[in-house]
Amino acid sequence: MTPEASRRADAPEYSPPATPILPLCDSTLLQEKGNMQVSPALRADLLDLKAWSEILMTYGRTMRVAVALTDSQGQVLGKCHNPQPVWQLVHRAERDRGSGCPFCINTLLPCTAVADALRTGGTVMVRDQVGLTHVSVPLLLGKLRLGAIVAGQVFDRYPDSLVLRRVAKDYGVSAQQLWELAKEQRPVSSAVLQASGDLLCALGNAFLRQRYSAILETKLAETNGRFRLLVEGVMDHALFTMDSNGCVTSWNGGAERLLGYVDAAIMGQNFSCIFTREDIQNRVPERHLHKALIAGRADDEGWLVRGDRKQFWANVNITAMEENPGISRSFAIMVHDVTEQRKIAGVLEDARQERQRLEEKLLSHVSHELRTPLTAIYIFTTNLLDGVYGDLTTYQHEHLTLALENVQQLKSMVSDLLDITRVETHKLTVEPQHLSLAKLIDDVLSTCLTNAAVKNITLRSDVAPGLPFVWADPARVRQILINLIDNGIKFTPPSGSVTVASRPYVEKEGFLCLIVSDTGCGISSENCELVFERLSQVSSTTEASRSGLGLGLFISRELVSRHGGRIWVESELGRGSIFYFTLPVFSLAKLCSHVLTAPNLEAGCVTLIAVDVAQVAGAVQADILLEVRKVLERCIRPEQDVLLPSMSDAEPVKTFFIIACTDAKGFEVIASRMARELRKFDSASKLKPAISSTTLLLAPGQFGKEQIGDVAARIDQLVQSHLMGKDRLQ
Amino acid sequence: MTEKKILIIDDDQHLQLGLSARLRARGYRVTCAADAISAITVARKELPDLIILDLGLPAGDGFVVLERMRDLADLAAIPVIVLSARDPADNKKRSLDAGAVAFFQKPPDNHEFLAAIRHALGETVALSTFLKT
Repeated sequence: MTPEASRRADAPEYSPPATPILPLCDSTLLQEKGNMQVSPALRADLLDLKAWSEILMTYGRTMRVAVALTDSQGQVLGKCHNPQPVWQLVHRAERDRGSGCPFCINTLLPCTAVADALRTGGTVMVRDQVGLTHVSVPLLLGKLRLGAIVAGQVFDRYPDSLVLRRVAKDYGVSAQQLWELAKEQRPVSSAVLQASGDLLCALGNAFLRQRYSAILETKLAETNGRFRLLVEGVMDHALFTMDSNGCVTSWNGGAERLLGYVDAAIMGQNFSCIFTREDIQNRVPERHLHKALIAGRADDEGWLVRGDRKQFWANVNITAMEENPGISRSFAIMVHDVTEQRKIAGVLEDARQERQRLEEKLLSHVSHELRTPLTAIYIFTTNLLDGVYGDLTTYQHEHLTLALENVQQLKSMVSDLLDITRVETHKLTVEPQHLSLAKLIDDVLSTCLTNAAVKNITLRSDVAPGLPFVWADPARVRQILINLIDNGIKFTPPSGSVTVASRPYVEKEGFLCLIVSDTGCGISSENCELVFERLSQVSSTTEASRSGLGLGLFISRELVSRHGGRIWVESELGRGSIFYFTLPVFSLAKLCSHVLTAPNLEAGCVTLIAVDVAQVAGAVQADILLEVRKVLERCIRPEQDVLLPSMSDAEPVKTFFIIACTDAKGFEVIASRMARELRKFDSASKLKPAISSTTLLLAPGQFGKEQIGDVAARIDQLVQSHLMGKDRLQ
Repeated sequence: MTEKKILIIDDDQHLQLGLSARLRARGYRVTCAADAISAITVARKELPDLIILDLGLPAGDGFVVLERMRDLADLAAIPVIVLSARDPADNKKRSLDAGAVAFFQKPPDNHEFLAAIRHALGETVALSTFLKT
């Protein structure tokens, strides 16, 4: 490493000199370039000798000094301008001058002029032993030391003859010759050289900055040009800009092509002309700009109108551009014609629907077609089992029972398939009615008993007594319960148990929670949500337990949600599962709310009517009672009266209750109408209706809103006592 | 007491075979028809006490049969139980509105199905009264 290089390495980071030669801080230049990174290419461009030549030569000639440019390492770039004769002589001598300063005649001693100038950022003047002086000034761009200019090779006085002679000897020329050369170099005093050094510093740095700006400008112009080409070249998007009022300020080729206006025609026009008339009436363009102003951008899709009045479906993005903060904003708009995409999306949607329709058709067809052979198998199997073709051996009976079980399983799978198609076509409906859960649960448990007994599983009912009626579809609740219980049986090892229980659902008023728990293999927590998905049967379950389509819980979830309830499971692997689902509780108050109003009750015109139906001989058939219900429905005024659902667990229902908005007098009219209608309906089967009434009376001022529930409870009480009284009579 | 006559209208031969075996074992006389046209002919000839009717039939579906039966004085009073593979969601109400006394989806539950047959045969007079109202 040369001494100069090592000194540079040791030199502390540049710190601004006490008296800066150039006041660089007055502009943004320093801030901008304070820590800027200048790429090697830009550096080379900034110090391009061709650009510098003229200024260096002019300076050299004017000041009668030699001038050279160095890079940031202090290496002279190119030739020396306006070289001084002595310098030329030294160069001609072609002696090995080491890596010292080319301006120093005596190269044995290191010259630190350039290095010092770069390090300190100030002008450095050096005078060598022959009296030749040179001055070095740094070229600075912000904190960056890009290079230096060295000027000099002049005598500040005529050299002394002894020294000249020694130098001449060193370089192998005659002292006379050297003198002749030296004579041509007019001495410049140190003070003048120092001043000219400062001038050089100012000049050099000014030129450097000018050069820097020039380069940036060129680059900006290039970028702008490229960008313009790019914007112009974008043909499938309309790109244009608008001022704060929405008037067009630029218009690209894509805009011309897509929107059908040439830029001369549209420039300065309001951009609302590309919107449809309805949109303009609805102030859509203004709203877009407003939104863009507030949110920075606005996106929309809709019909736009071309210059030739043709419409197309477009994707519009408006971006607010903040050019002059706080003054006004302009907007950039991009419009893309997505008519085709929209068409394709439409076609895809049609295809999807068609596919769904076909899928549904296929599934319902499959479900239908499977039923026919299934029916034949079912009939033959039950015929055999019931001994239609003669007695069976125990063995035959046993195996046919197994066959029948499989038929039943197949049957429920086919039903599930049909339900799935209903879910997907939103046809899975429930018909809620006033429903007694206690009776239904008993019924379901007796159905599931056989299955449980086969696996030696105990089936328990832990349902609280006096369970309220629910508002649900009996067939569907039955399906949900059987599903959950069968699942429990399926995944519970022998001698385990499955329990059906109930509890009030405190999280949501007006709902009741049913619980089906088992002591089976359980479900891992990550699968607790998944079990309700379509075709999800957890893979780890044993082969023996895998049966069915894995649709049961999915269908159950759909059915529960159609009742307005929810279903979920709590489980732990190896410790069994607890399935919960909720159903809406039947609310008499809700059903009768339009009759049970304060004025009605205070006026004593709310009457509970009971219609008991009996037959002269024999029991009344269920279908006749159904018809009776229809007749009564026709007799009441639906806006004012309510025919209550069957309020008893007993089937068939022989007593009908009506909450009527009428007083005692009005009741007479209704009762005689009902009796007449029933007689008309039933002249042959000899029905005998008994119609009685109770007026619900409340003292004026007693009634509060919360008391509707109390009145409903009283109605319920009256109904129950009426039914019980009838039971006693029978 | 004379044997009650039941007519099974279904194009599935196997169902005819199995169901008639079961019904005969219960002491009914059974005749069968496999399409909508012969159904009416056989019904008029036999005048059964009950008809078990499929909906998907060759030469016109079960609803056509039901409608024509209502127009024919000698058949209008015969109770009909519909037994079909079709979706009850769409077809049950339609069948009952068309005059059927019950709708069963295939395969029916034996117990309920046979109960319905007994019921329909026992209540022939009362039910026919309903049909007229």
